[in-house]
Amino acid sequence: MRILTRLILFIAAASLGLGWLSPSPTAAASESSAQSNHDPLEGMNRKIFWFNDKVDTYILVPVATGWDTIAPTRVKQCVSNFFHNLRFPIVTVNDVLQAKPLAAASDVGRFVVNTTVGVAGFLDPATGWGLEQHNEDFGQTLGYWGVPPGPYLVLPFFGPSDPRDAVGLAADLFSTVYPYFIAYVYTVSANATNTINARALALKDVQQVKEASLDYYVAVRNGYEQRREALVHDRKGLSEEQQRDLYNVETNDGE
Amino acid sequence: MKSQQSLEGAHLRVRAHGRSIARRRAVVLLAILCGVMVGVVRAEVSRTALVQQTVDAVVAVLADKSLTADQKRAKIQDIVYDHFDFNTLARLVLARNWKQLSPEQQKDFVEEFKKHLSMTYGKNVETYNNERAEVTGDRAEPGGDWTVKTKIVRLGAADVLLDYRLRQEDGSWKVIDVIIEGVSLVANFRSQFQEIVSNQGPQKLIDLLREKNAKGEPLKS
Repeated sequence: MRILTRLILFIAAASLGLGWLSPSPTAAASESSAQSNHDPLEGMNRKIFWFNDKVDTYILVPVATGWDTIAPTRVKQCVSNFFHNLRFPIVTVNDVLQAKPLAAASDVGRFVVNTTVGVAGFLDPATGWGLEQHNEDFGQTLGYWGVPPGPYLVLPFFGPSDPRDAVGLAADLFSTVYPYFIAYVYTVSANATNTINARALALKDVQQVKEASLDYYVAVRNGYEQRREALVHDRKGLSEEQQRDLYNVETNDGE
Repeated sequence: MKSQQSLEGAHLRVRAHGRSIARRRAVVLLAILCGVMVGVVRAEVSRTALVQQTVDAVVAVLADKSLTADQKRAKIQDIVYDHFDFNTLARLVLARNWKQLSPEQQKDFVEEFKKHLSMTYGKNVETYNNERAEVTGDRAEPGGDWTVKTKIVRLGAADVLLDYRLRQEDGSWKVIDVIIEGVSLVANFRSQFQEIVSNQGPQKLIDLLREKNAKGEPLKS
């Protein structure tokens, strides 16, 4: 029941994005025609981004820093392994949905090995045995079958997304195992633990992106878009046209 | 009888001679072919080997406990400056806007951008935790560029996939972009700088970089 409430929330958020697919006249006017911008909702997105950043800075980072100080690296890694192992149904279902039977078989093997030999998933012997971790979700599946991401969308608490990936996120919740068996209190605390632990592991990286960027919002937006596209195409590299746009000095200055 | 024998002998000798010429020619051809192949293989090896040697050199500096953080940064900066083509990198980052800059501004921009990168990434020296880097593969790109794929192996954390895009200039391969987990540095900075340049002009961008660089000078620790 609770999962349904959450799902409805997600779909609401996603359709919110879809409903605003047509850029508002003010947003379009402020855009320079030279650039292809996927962010017609920039005004709203920046506000939510700002809100998320405050939540991150004043709640999540202090807690994560605390956890980072008391927990040795190995413990953090074990916690991270445990939650990655629980993602097994999501990853496997999406392997299948993307017609990747070998990856699906490997991920089933991975789950079996890590749940047994890897002590309930806290260790990851499977990677050493050649069953490497795959990164798949329903947003990628939609992308794999040609669904475009749509406009950039910052979700409250969840951060960077787009309508395609927001729908994907909602669908993936269905294939998570533990909410069906375990009381809500425990799933909430499990999610909190996962979030804090993941944030603790990324403290340095996020700090670096903040320091390296002149416009943090744009840096994250572009990073999210590039990363999702790379994941959808399983990092096979850019198309020839994208490469020309990015790496050709001549096309870049000759109009 | 005798003459016939000698005739036959001569004939055989001629045939043998012909055969040996053919054989010699084949050997020469083979040698040339091998030479070409060795050359091709060596050219391919040199790109991945170049990257592996360079990252190994950086890791060696990072792991050297006799050096202070500043000394490490200086040494790594030398290695990076040798192998990166910041002119091309900066130019690609600005893309169409490059021509809006005066030659003076272009020079300033390259200098400040370079400083910005070495400043922000130079901070990693202090948090080094026995990471290693391995070349995992490479591929030719359209237009003659070459991508060398590496992964950074970290203790107690997932590997980071890092690709280097190389371009040949005056016979040597230089890095013109770094792609971290599918995110190109050039594309990311381009998207940020594009908005600044088109809204506030190129000089504003240079000033912003200069300001940021002045604020967080890392060469003290």
